[in-house]
This record gives sequence, structure tokens and C-alpha cells, in this order.
Amino acid sequence: MVVLRAGLCPGLTEEMIQLLRASGIRTVVDFVSSDLEDIAQKCSLSYKALVAVRRVLLAQFSAFPTNGADLYEELKSSTAILPTGSPSLDQLLDSGLYTGEVTELMGAPGSGKTQVCLGIAASVSLGLKQPVLFLDSTGGFTASRLYQMLQAQTEDKEEQLEALQRIQVVRVFNIYEMLSALQELRDRLSQQVMSSMGPLKIVVIDSVSAVIYPLLGGKQSEGLAIMMQLARELKTLAREFSLAVVVTNQVTRDSSTGSLKPALGRSWSFVPSTRVLLESKEATWEKATLQRVASLAKSSRQPTGIQVEVDIG
Amino acid sequence: MQRAVGGLPLAPALRARLVAAGFQTAQELLETGPCGLSKEIGISKEEALEALQVVRQECHGDATRTAGGSSATRKCTALELLEEEQAQGFIITFCSALDNILGGGVQLTKITEICGAPGVGKTQLCMQLAVDVQIPECFGGVAGEAVFIDTEGSFMVDRVVEIATACVQHCQLIAEAHQEEDNLKALETFSLESILSHIYYFRCRDYVELLAQVYLLPDFLSEHSKVRLVVVDGIAFPFRHDFEDLSLRTRLLNGLAQQLIIIANDHKSAVVLTNQMTTRIGQSQSTLVPALGESWGHAATVRLIFHWDNSQRLATLYKSPSQKESTIPYHITSHGFRDVQPPAVTQNAEDTGVNPRKRPRREEEK
Repeated sequence: MVVLRAGLCPGLTEEMIQLLRASGIRTVVDFVSSDLEDIAQKCSLSYKALVAVRRVLLAQFSAFPTNGADLYEELKSSTAILPTGSPSLDQLLDSGLYTGEVTELMGAPGSGKTQVCLGIAASVSLGLKQPVLFLDSTGGFTASRLYQMLQAQTEDKEEQLEALQRIQVVRVFNIYEMLSALQELRDRLSQQVMSSMGPLKIVVIDSVSAVIYPLLGGKQSEGLAIMMQLARELKTLAREFSLAVVVTNQVTRDSSTGSLKPALGRSWSFVPSTRVLLESKEATWEKATLQRVASLAKSSRQPTGIQVEVDIG
Repeated sequence: MQRAVGGLPLAPALRARLVAAGFQTAQELLETGPCGLSKEIGISKEEALEALQVVRQECHGDATRTAGGSSATRKCTALELLEEEQAQGFIITFCSALDNILGGGVQLTKITEICGAPGVGKTQLCMQLAVDVQIPECFGGVAGEAVFIDTEGSFMVDRVVEIATACVQHCQLIAEAHQEEDNLKALETFSLESILSHIYYFRCRDYVELLAQVYLLPDFLSEHSKVRLVVVDGIAFPFRHDFEDLSLRTRLLNGLAQQLIIIANDHKSAVVLTNQMTTRIGQSQSTLVPALGESWGHAATVRLIFHWDNSQRLATLYKSPSQKESTIPYHITSHGFRDVQPPAVTQNAEDTGVNPRKRPRREEEK
């Protein structure tokens, strides 16, 4: 919905804009979708000039179609699959986290979402030697636990410290801070600031629901609008810069059936391409266990409903 | 900076109007200027000026961040965080088993939630922590002050006096055993009066007062920068009775949780909340679960559940980012929160001279 302004394209002068505005045409969409002969008559502008302007605007603002073969070639060369650090989880996700997609982890409190996120960060940083961006909105990021995980994977102290340095943690506690952190990331990536550590391939956000929940519900639809803004930002980041985006989500109890369902509602359920539900094996808190069961709730590649056991020790 | 208009912190009606008028980025807004803006959207010049002020602030904030000023955004590498965490102290609880399963004690910059049935000892632990946070650094404490927000009216000053006296005695014994100068100097300032004067007590009678108190807390904390502990005793109570609109409750609680996390992080203090238990009726059995619903479970970083096993009190660590789940027994004595078997390393006077008196299993008469 771009407003028509002088200089948007050659041939679009200030007087033209004033005349168009007088007949109710303010944005590019209005211009392109209206009948040019009609406008030429109403505003006494030359038909040829209007057609030329329309051609330039269409070229500038519309999306170009591409064919499937080109798309496939492009995806083959740009997609990477990142290991999560847990072989059973990799199996569940069809060998790992795919870049260009949003993957969601959901679970009840204490089910291990933060642990899996830390595991992913550790494995990408140590195994692939690539930087990781971790957006923490719950205060649950514990560097000492991450250090413990790194120590379990390698003995070399130098490597551990380097791996820790590659993980950048940003603490964002409300939705606007999160949006501005993502904006900053986008600016950094589009200016192609190459850090010495290699290209950024993965962004972990723990958790998305903590910042959106205070806004959802009630009579205003502001919460929904902001949530969709965030969704669009995440998906375009993932696609444009070939990033793997991992988000965590809460679960709420369905009031009618009493079963657990993911939070943030139906609108959010279209955002991630893959959804994994984490549960502990025992349903109550009276028995302690380190085993968690991960089941695939939504996937574009694997059949849903398959379950694996994940060890978060 | 190409900040999208949809992501700016403006009033929603204003934002909707801006998007409908065709503005897409913050840059465009700034270029139009207040007069142009008020004409395009139909708002008064003052409103346009205010909105542009907010936008300018956001953009400047972005600019300073990219220029390298990282203090405002809480951005750092994991290595720096690790060093920070290792340098941070813990607030000990005087029950070494509980300290062990927590990884050293109650952690600063995190929210810890204590859930339990009535009479199991939640308020006792809160009072113990309000005293323990003030232990000087040479004795292994964090030398901070405490804020106690009470919604149930269960804070009893005479009990705090008992706990504080026991704590001071404990430190005196350590000082006598080791005879170091710092210890003796610190003891001069660590007395009953100073402990009581550094516990800031607030009484909130309903949820509106509680919300107001928590949202005003950052100002209070910036004046009293030594505060290292914020206790909210009874976060469930004002939200459970007399609340018809459940979705409003969820929203308020989540907003409250985010505010508490910001306080915990910015002021490097621990936040401790106490919660009640409710019954969940399943198909064949009913279980006790923490109150306030599933979504509240995500607010706290560390969750402790206190429960009974016949007449022994047990504490279970249910949720923690760095420790395993485990259960330990504990006692509540006249001196406060203690282990079941006092460890052999502590002072003799405490072991032999005092009879650990178990608190009776009924409503505590204090």
C-alpha cells in the first residue's frame, strides 16, 4: 500500500499526483486497479503517459513468477540442514533443522524446551563452528548449563570458550524490543556485515508466546495484528537470508476437552512449517525423570504422530 | 533505519490509521513532518508531534545500538554471560540440601516460584530469604536489601525477629571460630535492627494494588539500588477469588510476569513468588497442581513444589534451567528453615543446645 509520490517513477509528476488524488486515487494499488481511460478523461491527463506510468509501477512493485525447476535449483544450493545435537530429534525432523523455515517447539512448563534450545545452540556453535543468535524473552538462558553441555561434548577448553563466544544472546522482554532486535538483524544481514565467524544460519527465539500473551485476547485486536507482524518478519527473514528459525511456544489447556493444545491460537499455527510437542513421560510432578517424549505435530515432510525419546540430561 | 510502521510502539488506533494512509516505514513518517502527518491522517498537530517523538526515539535507539552501544539492549555473548553468572552470588536458605538442589541457593536475576498446600512453609521460606539476603559477603551472602510485597497478610514481624536473631548468632559463631578482621567488622553492621530496617514491606489488598505496586517497583529500586530480593507472598490470592474474566486474568498475569522478569534482570535481584495449589480432576484420580493455570507455569524460571509425606515436609525442584529434578526433606524450627539432619560442619552450640521443634501440621499460629 505505497502512497503515490512524485519521483516514484519517471513520468509521475507532482501535478499528476494532485489530479489523481482529487479523483480518489492515492496509492499504487488504486492506480493499477483502476480503469485508465476513465482516469484520462476525469483528470484530463494523456492516456499514453498513464499507461507508461502503470507499466513502470507494475515492474517495480509486483512479484515476478519463477518456474519450479529454477526454484528447486535455488533451494538445493541454498538450503542447509543443521543438526540439533540430539540424534533422535534429528530423525524426527528428517535429519535436522532446515534453513528457510520456521520450526516450533512446544510443551508444558518443565518439559525441556529451553534445554533443547540450548542443545541446538551448543551443537551448531561447536559442531559447525557457526554463529548463533539467541533471543531470550523468559530469562531462562543459563550460561552455566550451556557450558556444561559443551563440556560434555568436547574436552578442549579453547574450543569451549570459542563456542561460547559464537553464541550471541539478546534479552528482549516485550514485543517491540523483539521486533527491533529482528530489524537490527535484518539490517546487519542485508548490509552483509561478515563477521569473522562465518555466516549466521540460525536464530533461536525462546519464547515467542511470553511476549505476545500479554497482548492477546480481550476486545482489541491489537495483539493479533502485532503477532502477525512478528510472524511475517520471522518468515521473511528465514526465506530471504536462508536462516533456520527455531521458536518455542507454550501449551494451554483446552477448556472443553481438557487436553493440551498449543498457545497463540489458530492464526499462529500457520506460521511454523514444523511443530514438535515435548512431554515428560510421567504426567505428574511426583516422579522425576530425564526422558522426554517428542512427537511431531505438524510437518511438511514426515508423517505426523511419530514419537521419539529425547534425553535432556 | 527501515522500521516498519506496524512495529512501532504507538497507540493501536493511530497505527491503524497510519497503515491505512499508506505509510510503510518509520523513515517516511519522519520525512513527512508533523504538519503533513496531521493533514494526511486527520489528527491534531500535538498528537502528530507526540507520535513523531516516539518514532524518533525508536530510530535513535536503533542507531545507537548499531553504532556499538550495547548497554541499552542487553546484548552479549554467551561467554560474557557465563562470567557474569559465575561471579554472581546466591541467596542461601540455611537448608543445605535445598541449596544443593538449587545449585547453590536462590539465583539472582531469575524468578523462583514456590508452590505448596497451606501450612507447608512457603511464607517461612520467604521470611528466611528476606533475612538471608542481607548476610554480608564475607560470610557468603550477597549483602543486599529485600522488598516484601504481602497480599495475604501472613507476614509476622515477631517471627522475622526470631529468624534474624538466629541468623546473627550463626554469623557470630562463625566469626568467633575464624577470628578474621573483616568478619568482625561486618558483624558490627549486621544486627537485628539493621536487618529489620532493610526489609521494605508493602501490603497490597487486591490485584489492582498488586499490579500498581509491581509497575512502580522499578522507580523504587532505582532509588534503593542495594535491593537484591523481591518477594511477592501470595501471587495467587488476589487473582483467584472474584475474577470472572479468565482471559483478562491470563493477560494480566503474563504482563505481570514480564514486568517481574525485567525487574529481575535490570536490577540483578532475585524474585520469589509463592503460589497456591489446586486440584485437577482427571479421569480416574485427582492430583494437586499449582494454581493459576498452565500459562502461569511458564512465567517462573525455577519452580519448587513443597508437599507433605506423612508428617515429613518435602521440597521438589520441578522446573529449572540448569538443575535436575530432585526431592529433599526439610524442617522448620524456631530458628527458621533448616535441614532435617543438621550437617556436621556447623557450630556445636546450635546442634546440642536447641531442640528442633517441628511446626505442627495445622494452620500456623504465629
